[in-house]
Amino acid sequence: MKPPRAPVRLLRAPSLWLALALVALGALAPVVANDAPLALRRDGAWSFPAFAELVGRAAVAPDGGGWRDWLALSRPDVVVWMPPVPHGPLATDAALAGVGPSKAHWLGCDELGRDLLARIVHGASALSSLAAPAVALALVVGALLGTWAGLRRGWFEACVLRLVELTACLPLLLFLMFAAAFLGDSATVARLALAALLWPSFARIARAEALALAQREFVRTARGLGVSEARLLFAHVLPQMKGPLATTAAFCVAAAVVAEATLAFLGLATGSASTSWGEMLRSGVERAALGEWRPWAAPAAALTLVVLACHRVAERFRDDPAR
Amino acid sequence: MLRLLRRLLWLCGMLLGVSFATFAVVDLAPVDRAELAIARAAGDRAFADLDARERAILQLRAQFGMVDPVTLQPAPLGTRYLQWLGNAARLRFAGPNGDHDALWRRIAQAWPTTALLGGLALLLAFGVGVPLGARLGMAAGTAREGVASALLLAFAALPEFLVATLLLLAFGAAGLQWLPVSGLRSPDATTWPAWQQALDSARHLVLPVAVIGVGPLALVARFVRDAVARADRSPWVETMRALGAEPAVLRRRLRRHGALPAATLAGSLLPMLVGGSVVAENAFALDGLGHLAFTAASEQDQPLLLALVTLGAIATLLAFAFADWLHARLDRRAGAA
Repeated sequence: MKPPRAPVRLLRAPSLWLALALVALGALAPVVANDAPLALRRDGAWSFPAFAELVGRAAVAPDGGGWRDWLALSRPDVVVWMPPVPHGPLATDAALAGVGPSKAHWLGCDELGRDLLARIVHGASALSSLAAPAVALALVVGALLGTWAGLRRGWFEACVLRLVELTACLPLLLFLMFAAAFLGDSATVARLALAALLWPSFARIARAEALALAQREFVRTARGLGVSEARLLFAHVLPQMKGPLATTAAFCVAAAVVAEATLAFLGLATGSASTSWGEMLRSGVERAALGEWRPWAAPAAALTLVVLACHRVAERFRDDPAR
Repeated sequence: MLRLLRRLLWLCGMLLGVSFATFAVVDLAPVDRAELAIARAAGDRAFADLDARERAILQLRAQFGMVDPVTLQPAPLGTRYLQWLGNAARLRFAGPNGDHDALWRRIAQAWPTTALLGGLALLLAFGVGVPLGARLGMAAGTAREGVASALLLAFAALPEFLVATLLLLAFGAAGLQWLPVSGLRSPDATTWPAWQQALDSARHLVLPVAVIGVGPLALVARFVRDAVARADRSPWVETMRALGAEPAVLRRRLRRHGALPAATLAGSLLPMLVGGSVVAENAFALDGLGHLAFTAASEQDQPLLLALVTLGAIATLLAFAFADWLHARLDRRAGAA
């Protein structure tokens, strides 16, 4: 009999907080790095252009043009609060092309004069808008189906297992590539395609865990006491597999971010935001070959940080036999 | 015998499922092959009027099997799939009236490169991963092992295309120029003696194989490490130690214990190798299946793509079956179950 595992406390892991912070950074990108102000007081009325962008509306300057020109004509009665990184990811400036790090541009600018830090921040939205929702969906579907299959056995388990094996035959990158090429450049399609490819990982783990847990005393006792199947599933079995599921989820988030970046790097965009680390790497490679490393190294470091953070999380909750 | 038959039947069922899923994705696409073909050919012949163009499109649609040839109404998905399946069963993947030989020529040209790369990458993954994992597993829990495992993790975590570009930059025209970074042989290699040609090819293979193999290597090593570490803490090892077994004997047994479950990994590594070969072949300008798949996706070449996915699925299923068989052969317990 295997000794019971140490209890898994998800929120005690610093690596998980780092990963969550990166997801939050992606979700909040428009208010972290933007050339539109966070808050603006004009003619006695407040407006919040950057927050408008956060909820999916365009933040257009009052004269209908760009914010930079409008803000340059600063008037004494206008109060402006800028985001921490006061540059937009797409705002180009020929005068700034390829400049190095400075006080105004912490990481410098790329060959079109776009602020690198702002682009890095906005590239993190691949995490929040693509990887996190897709993995969350896959986690819910996979964990429920897998656990149910492990507890119920019979034809339901057989069906789930067959589906799992079927999906294992489809290589992640290849299938995403085809989905992007044929189903169009839509965020929803990309999320659904990712979730469809990732749920079997969760289902496989959840089933194996459920099979083992079904033999344990507390599950047998609960069954003997006549606890309903739903309660058994949600209150007794699922909480016991937090660790393995967290490990799988972390691996899947890393795989999703890498797949998105790879597709963008190869020039087959998925439904991600306008700024992608893969795309930055793609344009950065040519500059790097000419000896200008910054535009390549910045997204490479960001991507590596995200992937390593995810793997740290996975490592933390893994069932390490040496521990 | 019955089990083999059941397995075979099951393989066919899976193949149907995979091909149908891919067919549906490709078919749901808002891409009209006829429109695409017309747009590509429009440079050669212009149409008299819109009517003529419309007729040509309808004709092409009928030719591609997208519509019923008599009524010109769109054929239902099931019918089209069955039609495709019928052709596929006879290894005719290019569509009802397509050029099958040309399609097969493209695949025949591409597969040896990919098979070579994948085989070498697998060899690298198991040849280095198993001994490395076994060593780590026996040292599991020590500080040095922790550092080594973390490094291994970092290697596994790095995206393949990042590794590929890093190597390209390091060894390419702007870097050290120690190793060639494109193609499979040097342009004037045909005039060289055989041993020099072989050396040349080997030099060309180093970087792509490294890109494809490093992820699987880390995975195998991690897997073996866990298996060995688990075995190291099991009662039979304790007993052997207590009975005064030689460390060398113990090491050998433990290594065998870890290598066995790694055999099952061979199947699940194949999809990883596919992803790696797409990246590596594009980065190092190799004409393999990965590059072909990339071309098919970017040109929206539906028949080629369906053919590649189907062949890929067959390969993966066979690899799974082989891994199971290998595991059963190596481990009597799995065979008995």
